[in-house]
Amino acid sequence: MKWFSGLLLLISVFLWQLLSWLGILPPYRIPSPLGILKGLSTLLVDGLPPGYLLHRHALESLLRVFYGFGIASALAIPLGIVMGWSKIIRAILTPFVEIVRPVPPLAWIPLAILWFGIGIKSAAFIIFLGAFFPILLNTISGVLMLDVRLIEATKVLGARETDILLKVLAPGALPSLWTGLRIGLGIGWMTVVAAEFTGVKSGYGLGYLIMIARDIQRPDQIVGGMIVIGFIGYFLDSILRRIESRLLEWM
Amino acid sequence: MNLKRAKSLFMASAVLLMILTPLLGNPCAMQKVRLGYLQSDLHQLAAFVALEKGFFQQEGVQITIGGIFKAGPEEMTAFASRELDVGYVGEAPATVAVANKVADVKIVAQVNLEGSAIVVRKESGIRSLQDLAGKTAAVPGYAQVQDFLLRKALLQNTIPSRSVNVIIIKPPEMIPTLQTKQIDAFVAWEPYPAKAITKGIGEVLMYSGEIWPRHPCCVVVVDTQFLGKHPDVVRGLLRAHVKATHFIKGNFEEASKIGTKYTGMDLETVKLAMKSIVYEYVPDEEGLLEYVTFLNKLGTIKVEDPGEFVKRIIDVTHLHRVLKE
Repeated sequence: MKWFSGLLLLISVFLWQLLSWLGILPPYRIPSPLGILKGLSTLLVDGLPPGYLLHRHALESLLRVFYGFGIASALAIPLGIVMGWSKIIRAILTPFVEIVRPVPPLAWIPLAILWFGIGIKSAAFIIFLGAFFPILLNTISGVLMLDVRLIEATKVLGARETDILLKVLAPGALPSLWTGLRIGLGIGWMTVVAAEFTGVKSGYGLGYLIMIARDIQRPDQIVGGMIVIGFIGYFLDSILRRIESRLLEWM
Repeated sequence: MNLKRAKSLFMASAVLLMILTPLLGNPCAMQKVRLGYLQSDLHQLAAFVALEKGFFQQEGVQITIGGIFKAGPEEMTAFASRELDVGYVGEAPATVAVANKVADVKIVAQVNLEGSAIVVRKESGIRSLQDLAGKTAAVPGYAQVQDFLLRKALLQNTIPSRSVNVIIIKPPEMIPTLQTKQIDAFVAWEPYPAKAITKGIGEVLMYSGEIWPRHPCCVVVVDTQFLGKHPDVVRGLLRAHVKATHFIKGNFEEASKIGTKYTGMDLETVKLAMKSIVYEYVPDEEGLLEYVTFLNKLGTIKVEDPGEFVKRIIDVTHLHRVLKE
């Protein structure tokens, strides 16, 4: 099936190019694939602004995402296990979670700038907000889905609470938790672009790059940046999927 | 059953009609003009005055607001997608959009000259342009007028532009980032410099008029096709624009009050800001030429003959006709 989707992609790109050649898709609406390729090459070689090369833009965005995503995972997984495990804690914390969760991460941008400035911290904070809730909710539901009898059985066998938490709940919740990580990383990657739209101190970032390309009205470079974002997102997810299939083999 | 079918058929055709009506247009109705302008940009006060005082209507021009934008490039994108007929916009994004063939518009009038400033944080110790070396300064956009002004100022004082870390931040975020010491300076259009002063956060290092006296800034642009089809409407627009510009010069108090309404800023800030803006309706070809040359050198646009390009993008025939009346 893989060759088929590759073929389909190739055909659609060719069709797109054809429509551009025929003038049905004018360049000011959407640049042609060849035009985008040209735009991408200028981003790689000359950079935008000149001297600011594409790979540095991508690296700095990735760094911001790992920063925010790392903190989100470190906090959301333990909290999710505890909330899934204890009915009381769940009842106490759920209202807070459900009030903060619907607020889009981007709405926090003005506050993030005031609190953390325009460096990596504010972008990481926005990404943290985007990644935190999917990981938390999936961890909770992973714990809740566990067979209660399994836990009862370990209790009967004399397991302590900490053992149950670490040796039964955590691994048992892993499949759902992992889905949460994948969604969290995906949303984190999406929010980085918007987070960088407000400006970054270092002058690097894929979102920042797209903003500049728009400022100087270069759709080819805008779409070029979008394609890089898409491919990196796909690559990140495929890594997580690969680890997932290894990790869950025992199940 | 039949009744139900007839009913749904009626509904479907009603919906279809609703969708199609705007497409078909109504030839009998007066030509509605879709106007775009920038949010909180005091340079474009003439647009706010003309709207507020009904000058457009008096000239027989029916205006609908086609869009209010955060920055010029977005507004030019709206021209590209044929959402606007006329717009108050910065000369820079208009030039770049036309040169890069994203939008097809003509500059039919000037809106203002000057009206930007380099602002530094109070107690930052920055007293001169030389002090900016090694510091971080924000501009609203790469290759925009404010970016150009900063580069020009540095060049005039033989300071290498690389020695200043220039980053891009949209104007609404500039004052908070200056306050929290994320940046040391910013270059922006009014009323943001004035707001930084009245808030007690910043002070002006240099007004743009000191860097480049009477430099062009905002302009009125019209979609080229629209101009070809409705020159009379455009002349009506220009009459209203000229009238509004005169009104600002003659009625400072009332104009500043209209400014507060459209920018959401306080009266003190608006009055202070208006003092550094020159309201002017005649376009300046030489000023644009200097700017086009700069963009060419920067590589943002590729124009073979800047002189010819400037003549092509500026169309003052209608303005001159209106002024002769």
